[in-house]
Amino acid sequence: MLRPIRFAETGRELLEEMDYYGIEEALVYHARQRDDSPVVGNEILLNEIDGFDRLHGTFAILPPQTGELGSLEDFLGKMKAKDVRALRAFPAEHKYLMTRSALAILYDLMVERNMPLFISVNESCGGISGWYLIEKILSDAPDLTLVVTEHGSWGHDRFFRPLIEKYENLHIDTSRYELDGGISDFCGKYGAERLLFGTGFPAWNPGGSILTLAQADITTKEREMISSGNLERILRRVRL
Amino acid sequence: MNLSPLTEEFMEKGRSESCPVIDMHAHLGPYQGIYFPNPRPEDMIRTMDRCGVRMVVSSSHAALIDTRENVRMADVVRRHPERFRAYWVINPNYPERTQEEIAQFSEMKGFVGFKFLSDYHKYPLTGPRYEPALNYADEHRLLILMHTWGMSPYDSPALVERLADKYSGVVFLMGHSGYGEWEKSIQIARDHSNVYLELTAAYAVNGVIEWMVKEAGSHKMVFGTDLPWFDPHYGIGCVLFSRITDEDRHNILHRNAESLIKPYL
Repeated sequence: MLRPIRFAETGRELLEEMDYYGIEEALVYHARQRDDSPVVGNEILLNEIDGFDRLHGTFAILPPQTGELGSLEDFLGKMKAKDVRALRAFPAEHKYLMTRSALAILYDLMVERNMPLFISVNESCGGISGWYLIEKILSDAPDLTLVVTEHGSWGHDRFFRPLIEKYENLHIDTSRYELDGGISDFCGKYGAERLLFGTGFPAWNPGGSILTLAQADITTKEREMISSGNLERILRRVRL
Repeated sequence: MNLSPLTEEFMEKGRSESCPVIDMHAHLGPYQGIYFPNPRPEDMIRTMDRCGVRMVVSSSHAALIDTRENVRMADVVRRHPERFRAYWVINPNYPERTQEEIAQFSEMKGFVGFKFLSDYHKYPLTGPRYEPALNYADEHRLLILMHTWGMSPYDSPALVERLADKYSGVVFLMGHSGYGEWEKSIQIARDHSNVYLELTAAYAVNGVIEWMVKEAGSHKMVFGTDLPWFDPHYGIGCVLFSRITDEDRHNILHRNAESLIKPYL
């Protein structure tokens, strides 16, 4: 709905952007998956990434009770057919609660099959938002592999470190982890396994997260884990 | 990936001999709403060395809360004269202190001008309580770094424009470039020779640097990071990977700031 200043209209344009920044592969969603119904957006995403093996798709979810995304079997079958290994939640835009009443079936499926769920910390639902929403999700599904994106530049460590210590499958992306010394401080305390490189393109300038990670005061092995190894490990574990 | 020579140098070494970065928007010390791994001057210098930042111009966090803390920045500059300069924070909620503080300021070395934090102090840039500081800065051709934010009732770009017309002797640095109201901020920087776009946090918005360079020109932009908030490499990376020339990047990262702070070196 809102137009970013700079963006990629098609899968091919996105690859050109990735080439500019030296990014080999990306886990992606389409803006229409957020701004439109996932019924429409998930299909648009599949069409846009079709034939591009450097782009890996993510499906937006809805509470299964309305049946809009088909039966669970249909949904899983489509994920398997298109090798979609990750899910994404937009509860504010799509107006549902992230509670067990609404999502227990999906939470249990994701845990059973090791499917990661991605969510921006800027999401909200039912009057709760931010890290309180993240804690709500994790308290309902403590074994869920949850990746929280865009955690923002205004100092979130006091929010997320207690959750990192409590929930071992919680991960955060680095797209807005701008805190001076944040990445090295985090790795020193928790290791590098919980951080995933991200850019937040097209909203955010990828150059920031690229140079920050390239020059962070961490080991080469930690840098490789954050750059690609951790996400590859998470996606490899998924059973479709 | 076809990187510019400057970008390649930063990617390989984390710094550049030919591009000694000057950070025109920094702070110092702990703060209420955030955990800092590196808040002390010595920590900041370690970060600056890692990132190729030659100098920062800081207002201490403590002075944002209580302006009686401003004098401590003079000590920091005295101890690290090659790495720090300072802004003196004006808090309009204590107007009875302002004249005396300006007198104190005038006696001290190491300061380049004033810092206004109107959005946090909840007082508009154009209000009369800022006038003593504005008049003094106008008379002495000082820098004023202002927190500016789009649509704010206290420090939106439109308010900056009113000051820019009235106080032509002041160099106004629009902290955060009036975040969100990009078009208006760019217009003001383009139309007023004494207004610069300062990039802290703004740099993260994809495409905004190219827009500023195209419409206002890289000669009207300065770099900042809010250090010890943001890793300088984050902002530097945003500048380096924007679709602009290396000449533009030099202007933004150090040349313009060198000209502005030259009288204070």
